[in-house]
Amino acid sequence: MTTQGIDPLRRITCDQHVILTLPSEKCKIVELKANTAVSLGKFGAFNVNDIIGYPLGTKFEIFYDNETQETVDHDKKTKDPKKKESKINVGKIRVSDDLIKRDEGLTNVGNSENNKDLINLGSDIQKMTSDDIEALKKQSTSGNEIISRIIESHGTFDKKTIYSQEKYLKRKKQKFDKQFTVNYLSSNLLLQYLIDKNDIQRIMDMSEESIGMLLNLANIRSNGTYLCMDETGGLLIYFMLERMFGGDENTGSTGKIVVVHENEHPNLDLLKYSNYSEKFISEHIITISILDYFEPRTVEEVEQEFKPLGREEVFALKSGAKNTYFRKLKWHKIHLQQIDIATKWSFDSLVVATTLHLPSLLPKLGERVHGSRPIVCYSQFKEILLELSHTLYDDLNYLAPTIIETKCRPYQSIRGRLHPLMTMKGGGGYLMWCHKVIPAPEPEMISVEPKATETEGVQIEKQ
Amino acid sequence: MLAMSRHNKLFHQLKKGKNIPLTCIYNMASHQSQFTEYKDLIQEGDLALIWISRGNIKAVTIDAKESFNTRYGTFPHKDMIGKQYGSQIAIRTRGTGRFAFVHVLQPTPELWTLSLPHRTQIVYTPDSSYVMQRMNCGPHTRVLEAGTGSGSFSHAFARTVEKLFTYEFHPVRYEQAMLEFKEHGLLNENVTITLRDVCEDGFTIKKGDKTSATFDDEDSKELEATAVFLDLPAPWDAIHHLDKVIAQDQIVSVCCFSPCIEQVDKTIESLEKNGWANIEMVEIQGRQYESRRQMVRSIEDAMERCRDIKRRKQEGIELKRLRIEAEHKGETKPDSEPTPREPFTEKSKFNPFGKGTRVKEGDPNFKWKQVTKIESEIKSHTSYLTFATKLSDKSRRDTVVQ
Repeated sequence: MTTQGIDPLRRITCDQHVILTLPSEKCKIVELKANTAVSLGKFGAFNVNDIIGYPLGTKFEIFYDNETQETVDHDKKTKDPKKKESKINVGKIRVSDDLIKRDEGLTNVGNSENNKDLINLGSDIQKMTSDDIEALKKQSTSGNEIISRIIESHGTFDKKTIYSQEKYLKRKKQKFDKQFTVNYLSSNLLLQYLIDKNDIQRIMDMSEESIGMLLNLANIRSNGTYLCMDETGGLLIYFMLERMFGGDENTGSTGKIVVVHENEHPNLDLLKYSNYSEKFISEHIITISILDYFEPRTVEEVEQEFKPLGREEVFALKSGAKNTYFRKLKWHKIHLQQIDIATKWSFDSLVVATTLHLPSLLPKLGERVHGSRPIVCYSQFKEILLELSHTLYDDLNYLAPTIIETKCRPYQSIRGRLHPLMTMKGGGGYLMWCHKVIPAPEPEMISVEPKATETEGVQIEKQ
Repeated sequence: MLAMSRHNKLFHQLKKGKNIPLTCIYNMASHQSQFTEYKDLIQEGDLALIWISRGNIKAVTIDAKESFNTRYGTFPHKDMIGKQYGSQIAIRTRGTGRFAFVHVLQPTPELWTLSLPHRTQIVYTPDSSYVMQRMNCGPHTRVLEAGTGSGSFSHAFARTVEKLFTYEFHPVRYEQAMLEFKEHGLLNENVTITLRDVCEDGFTIKKGDKTSATFDDEDSKELEATAVFLDLPAPWDAIHHLDKVIAQDQIVSVCCFSPCIEQVDKTIESLEKNGWANIEMVEIQGRQYESRRQMVRSIEDAMERCRDIKRRKQEGIELKRLRIEAEHKGETKPDSEPTPREPFTEKSKFNPFGKGTRVKEGDPNFKWKQVTKIESEIKSHTSYLTFATKLSDKSRRDTVVQ
């Protein structure tokens, strides 16, 4: 099955990475391959072919009937050895309504004004045993049905207040619902996925609000040339790419990102999830090591190493030698481009997320940022940016370094019961924002005023 | 560069005697977008931002005949023309002959927001950037914004999205914003502004409406919005109008920006009633820190200073005692200087913290610890942001090739 004529930015297609959100609010990234099945563990499994062509963002429900006999292996990553062996039934798919139906499942049970009649008896209150529930699950009953059976068998459910009934229902839904949403792999959801996976350290504890603000402060547009260091394995680069191209390789936008990396090879591992082709990435992202950037080789050196052949000479090469030749030619061109970048290019903003020592790094990276263009630096820790901002403050090439923090506080968003959530994620990092400027040449000394010094001017400006 | 080529094309058409709408000719004379192209040099006619200090950024149109006046002196525009953006422009101040300067910057939406007078209601960057990020704004996003207000957020949207339809119901603010967008070259690019009370009359833009939109053959504009930002006192009156103008087979995001929790409550009610899902309200707290230094004052130095004072005091008492004794004995030497009434001691020889002198923060003669200081007045509450999404048409597309 192929999926020609379907816009992968709007609809689910084959060979596309999507991110699934599960009833447990956990995320899972999958590449949709035609004629295969995807396992969601305890939430069931489904055939990829069944969801192709629906709009991205559609919520589906897995259901089972007598015809469903297909099975699929458990997710290979599962750690439970027992589960590794077992198979999961592949269910059928129907589109699910994602609207909130208040009191759904609660309409036919009573509730209590308060919880004064509620006595905690622990698990004794539930008349169904876990074996009973397992049996229900084996019969492939729908999630809703299991939940209503559990409520029926609950001894004191009607003694609960409506609020705690709703909470109970939500908990059970997270456990027994077989629903999932197929989402476009947005940068936000990729970040969400990494946070869920507890990869916070790997991505330098970045929050959505910090990166969002970084992109705006750095004035990231689709037509700029940006200098970047990214220690988050490509997450920051993916945010930039999405802002610049929106997942579309055919916008015709000319934007480029030069990624300076501190190892021999760049680590943009997370881009493996992106739906950009390798060709597109290589056209818009140019990687260069910190050594090649700060100590570029000379054109002569590079040209001495390798001499491009004439057309007829290439034609005369044997096929093996020809391949070697073209590989070398490619590298030759990359080396020449790297020298160009390191010595001639001027940048429309500098975006940095690295744990290298910033007070020595940033002034060096900032050298070829064009005047008036923004510089934004992310750090997990405020103190790091503090030292940096003091350094830049004393450097006349940088205007008004500012340390910024932004935090998103989520609320319980239920009518009549609005309040901030009781706990939220800490961290999220800090930003340093400034602009590259060009100091005026030494002022002409006026003989009458020999004491007029530049520092006084700085005072006027910086206070 | 793009704008230039467009101009050339128009001139060609003019030469050939083609019929060109008047608005087009007007736009030619107006500014090219300072907000969509990265500019190298400051040129005549440019809209530039002059940075005097953090809280004092002024927008000017560069005109060789003009000057920019500050209380430190006058900066002629001709000193700026031809220089690179970001250049520091220096002068000698009038009276004292001191060195004073400003920086000339190319406007960005964020700098533009900072340059606006603070009395206007502005959606500030911590909020606007989060809204844009959360709604996945990119080159394919089609945004509805109501109301336009100061136009500050419109600039940020315009930079990133495919199309921005912004609505303002206040006639004067509409005219002001329209003129500003025109001057900033945004109307030529991707912004349409319409005079409209969206709560009363919805979002559809038709021929004959008071709008910057131009119509060819169609009677109304295809909006197909994928993101909606409602900065209105009563967003619940506008939400039910959205179904007609949002994209049907795509996820559409909405964000309502309201300062009061009661508004949020009514907004959620309306969103639920109109079939919006994934409703979540959040609040953004932005903080800015100033980099400062505090002097490192060791306990040893403090004790040593006390000892020093004590020692000097003791010496003083001793001197005084000797002098009194000597006076009693009448042993004043005739050639000795008259002893001052108060015994003379140098204030303190050991002064590790520069007490009694004016020490500038960061003075290299002292030890300092770098510290951050939060703004003296923080924006503790801007507004609540209520987000929701909607996918109207969940039907499957059947052109799947088997």
